[in-house]
Amino acid sequence: MTEETQEEEAPLFKRWSVWYMLVIGFLILLILFFYFLTKKFS
Amino acid sequence: MSRPDWIVLVLTLLGIIAYGLYKGRTSRDLDGYFLANRMVPWYMVLLGIMGTQASAVTFLSAPGQAYTDGMRFVQYYFGLPLAMVVLCITFVPAFRRLKIYTAYEFLEQRFDLKTRTLTSFLFLLQRGLSTGISISAPSIILSSLLGWDIIWTNIFMGGLLIIYTMTGGAKAVAYTQQLQLIIIFAGMFIAGYMVIHHLPAGVGISEALHIGGKAGKLNIITTGVSSKGFDWNDRYNLFSGIIGGFFLALSYFGTDQSQVGRYLTARSVSESRLGLLMNGLVKVPMQFLILLLGVLVFAFYQFNKEPVFFNQSQIDLLASSKYKDSLKVLEKAYEATESARITALSFPQQLKVIEGQKAGYKATVRRWLKDIGGDDNDTNYIFLRFVVDYLPKGLVGLLIAVIFLAAWGSIAATLNSLASCTIVDFHKRYSRTTNEEKEYRLSRMYTLFWGVFCVAVAQLAYNLGNSLIEAVNVLGSLFYGVILGIFLVAFYRKRVGATAVFISAIIVEAGVIFLNILSRKGIVPLSFLWFNVVGAIGVILLSEIIQICSPKLNIRLRDKA
Repeated sequence: MTEETQEEEAPLFKRWSVWYMLVIGFLILLILFFYFLTKKFS
Repeated sequence: MSRPDWIVLVLTLLGIIAYGLYKGRTSRDLDGYFLANRMVPWYMVLLGIMGTQASAVTFLSAPGQAYTDGMRFVQYYFGLPLAMVVLCITFVPAFRRLKIYTAYEFLEQRFDLKTRTLTSFLFLLQRGLSTGISISAPSIILSSLLGWDIIWTNIFMGGLLIIYTMTGGAKAVAYTQQLQLIIIFAGMFIAGYMVIHHLPAGVGISEALHIGGKAGKLNIITTGVSSKGFDWNDRYNLFSGIIGGFFLALSYFGTDQSQVGRYLTARSVSESRLGLLMNGLVKVPMQFLILLLGVLVFAFYQFNKEPVFFNQSQIDLLASSKYKDSLKVLEKAYEATESARITALSFPQQLKVIEGQKAGYKATVRRWLKDIGGDDNDTNYIFLRFVVDYLPKGLVGLLIAVIFLAAWGSIAATLNSLASCTIVDFHKRYSRTTNEEKEYRLSRMYTLFWGVFCVAVAQLAYNLGNSLIEAVNVLGSLFYGVILGIFLVAFYRKRVGATAVFISAIIVEAGVIFLNILSRKGIVPLSFLWFNVVGAIGVILLSEIIQICSPKLNIRLRDKA
């Protein structure tokens, strides 16, 4: 159990949920950026 | 190819084999051979995941796809980051806790032996065949473009990597993938720089994007919605990318041993998670840049003469057919049209007329090719034709090496996973051997067997033509959703037992195959990405219904589980 708990610790942030939000947030930003490019150049 | 190109190509390939042999020394047991003793750091897990997913065709086809259809293909990857998050929450901790070698071992612990055997068998069947195709596809392109013998190209594409994969197992695969991706990225960046370098003075990236945008190539975000409503048959749009792409990525990374085997090699749960999450961060931008290369090549050909057809071997085929005289006349007229088009770039009205003529000539060549039974699709040849025609000596060899390395990274990981499933899910499970040294030696033999099998399939694919390639591609999309459904029930529907999930998997699989037949006949307009959604959700719902309707079955199986 101790080993599992140690493994669960996330690098840089306190919790893994912050990493998950970062990945999802970055995806949203990318989609918005792509939308901007589509509108600007099409 | 020139001598410097050959030197660069041979040295790069030999260097990778030597590096794999040097770094692949590991303990002589299954843990060392298939899991690199679970000592791989997160960044190598990341490169392993990326190297396994990106095959040679990824780097050949994607720029051509952007050139012809625009950049909307990038939406296909929008579901991937979301799938990485779900994998990190559910799949990774479960797989790591049980200390399994293959994803299918988990299914025996959760359900029963028959469910494990079925899914592992489906994986071996589908992956064994599709790996043969991933050897064949780039081999056909290289042999067509460079005039190489197809048998030797197949052997070099799928055979040489067996040396280090068989000797060093997962560790050799991980270390070579690391070096391969560095060379691949360097090669692609140099190619990108060279395209921009070849653009006329005063035309930079921004102008190239405007040119691409005007021609509809910057269609990065599309909704698939028209005045008639949502087009379910539209392959790449925001919704099919996020929803269909999510189920496809979840299935591929969560239930396909070629990927599961990469993150099981990590030092800990955290390192596995970090590798997957980083993949979620970098995959979409990486794919965007590869597609952007296609738009830049498109802009380049606005100022330079574009071949009437990018696959020269098909033009040669036409030149020896009943159309040989007509082709000569057409090529002369096309040449004159291209010269006129380049001088008329500043005159929109005139340009429009000339481009209409040009499109007519290209359509005629395609029609002739179709008529003589040739390949009328040259999308995969666009980028490599540019490389061969315009890149300086030495760089052509590097870009050809990139194609080989991309293929090797993906195939090596797959051979390792095919061998691991064969020995762990079948040989060891049914014969119950306990001699570690013997298992290790057998694992090497199975790696060799699958390597030879895949090269043989590649040769068969070349002989049978497009029919086998299409069949294998369809095979993958038909099974992925159902296999994912079995895993999702295992993780999230604890009260559903083995028989309920087994019966529902078979029924839904039959349903998906039927749906595919209806889709191909045009009765049900549904793109293949949606099959994954139908398969996964179908298994979850049906297994739940069967379990509710059979309470006795429920009690017995819950006890068993």
